[in-house]
Amino acid sequence: MIEVEGLTKRFVDKEAVANVSFFVPEGEVLGFLGPNGAGKTTTMRMITGFLTPSGGAVRVAGRDLARDPLGVRAAIGYLPENIALYPEMRVEEYLRFRAAIEGVPSRDAAARLDEVAERCMVADVRRQLIGTLSKGYRQRVGLAGALIHKPPVLILDEPTVGLDPRQIVKVRELIAELGRDHTVILSTHILPEVEQVCRRVLIIDNGKIVADGTPDSLRAGLAGAAELTVQLEAPEGDARAALAALAGAVGVKSDGNGRFRVAVEGGADLRRHVFALAVEKKWVLLELTQTMPSLEDVFLRLTTRDTAVEAAEPAEEVANG
Amino acid sequence: MGKTVALLKRELMAYFSSPLAYVILTAFLFINGYVFALIVGYLNDPRTPPMAAFKLLFGGTIFFWLMLLFVLPVITMRLIAEERRSGTLEVLLTSPVSETQVVISKFLAALAFYLFLWLPTVIYVLLLARYSKVEVGPVVAGYLGIALLGVLFLAIGTLTSALVKNQIVAAVFAFALLLVVFSLGLVENLVSGGVLKEALGYMNLWEHMDDFSKGIVDTRHVVYLISGAGFFLFLATRALEASKGR
Repeated sequence: MIEVEGLTKRFVDKEAVANVSFFVPEGEVLGFLGPNGAGKTTTMRMITGFLTPSGGAVRVAGRDLARDPLGVRAAIGYLPENIALYPEMRVEEYLRFRAAIEGVPSRDAAARLDEVAERCMVADVRRQLIGTLSKGYRQRVGLAGALIHKPPVLILDEPTVGLDPRQIVKVRELIAELGRDHTVILSTHILPEVEQVCRRVLIIDNGKIVADGTPDSLRAGLAGAAELTVQLEAPEGDARAALAALAGAVGVKSDGNGRFRVAVEGGADLRRHVFALAVEKKWVLLELTQTMPSLEDVFLRLTTRDTAVEAAEPAEEVANG
Repeated sequence: MGKTVALLKRELMAYFSSPLAYVILTAFLFINGYVFALIVGYLNDPRTPPMAAFKLLFGGTIFFWLMLLFVLPVITMRLIAEERRSGTLEVLLTSPVSETQVVISKFLAALAFYLFLWLPTVIYVLLLARYSKVEVGPVVAGYLGIALLGVLFLAIGTLTSALVKNQIVAAVFAFALLLVVFSLGLVENLVSGGVLKEALGYMNLWEHMDDFSKGIVDTRHVVYLISGAGFFLFLATRALEASKGR
């Protein structure tokens, strides 16, 4: 449904997006992650036609962005980061305006308006001036505007930023529901959101894709981040050596009371082997837990360079001051 | 077509929901009324040679030009600059409307507002017609000249609004460009003969208006004003497209 090939954007002083390629099949909800300034918004703006790519190709719903820009724009419902609306318009007027410019035939406009107002929970403020709405309502009016022409593709840039916790839950539910009949690209900072809503995750850092897969496969692929906690009644040295010898274990730490923390590689599950080991040596097994790395771990690991740079900046300021 | 109409309607709504529109309307009417009173007073003086009042009102005095040069940039400054500043341009340029449609609808909205500004001056025509003899031709041609001048000047303002993010900068920039376009013709008097003098003569807007208010609709003037406007609107479209590259 969405095909991005070698997409590149060079600004005067830097390459914001470098040779990014990915494919989103119909009906998929893709989570688009990355630290601030990684190139998420730039990529989305290129797909939606707000920025002209320096190189590469984009195809949406079978249409090529370079050859048929209006066709691509018609196929996409786009909610920009911090949606800007016209404060002097009423919600209804704004949605009617969006319906007209998105190409909804005028005889269908009223029905479409009712439907999206209902779906995005803005029906109760239809007659209100947009300038008087809270941030949460404005965000949902923007979403209603993006949905009004029944686009097959939705591109949502940080749709839950600035909402209160209850609104976040509501909008997330809405996105999950929309994911059933739309192809969605969702950019966000909030990692639990991705796990709840997205079947696939793309992590971008410094303008390049650094990971692509389901949340589970990304966690499994992260070396050394899964951790096995074992407590045994056994001689310290023997147990340590036996655990370290297990296939997939990359490091053993002991805390002295017979408890060991074993770093596990490649998402392998070592619990069976530990149990077998305890049975064989007649050791008493008191505790056995394996924790998977969280998506946060994956994210931090893959984008550490960027966070290191950020951490270094305040120190520099002190030095300069 | 439906999309252009929707854009045009929104633009007009934006004009009349901002206090600026009413300030402009009031100031414009006040100045025009003052000038009209001056002209009537002047023409009532027995020493004044007989002439048509509208020749003075339509471009015959410096007031007319000052007003256009100052007021028109204020009408156009908001058009695109404000959408760029607030971020609404992102929604506009990612919906299936072309840059040309955006520029044209915004320009047309400004033109409609400009013509609306002149509408009350029809009262002057009716007033004069009641107390003296008014020739219809020169009045109609005069209004045509006013409309065409507006077309050129508003196209220039649309361009500067497409170029920058700040409304005030857009207005000042437009004012500077208008001044250049307006003074091109006046420079004619400083040049001694030759092709240059003739070329500048074609661009003398004061003379264009002088002809219109005499009832002369010279195609050269019409072509100059309209093609100039087309040129600036084309540049505005290109500027809007180019802004997506940076």
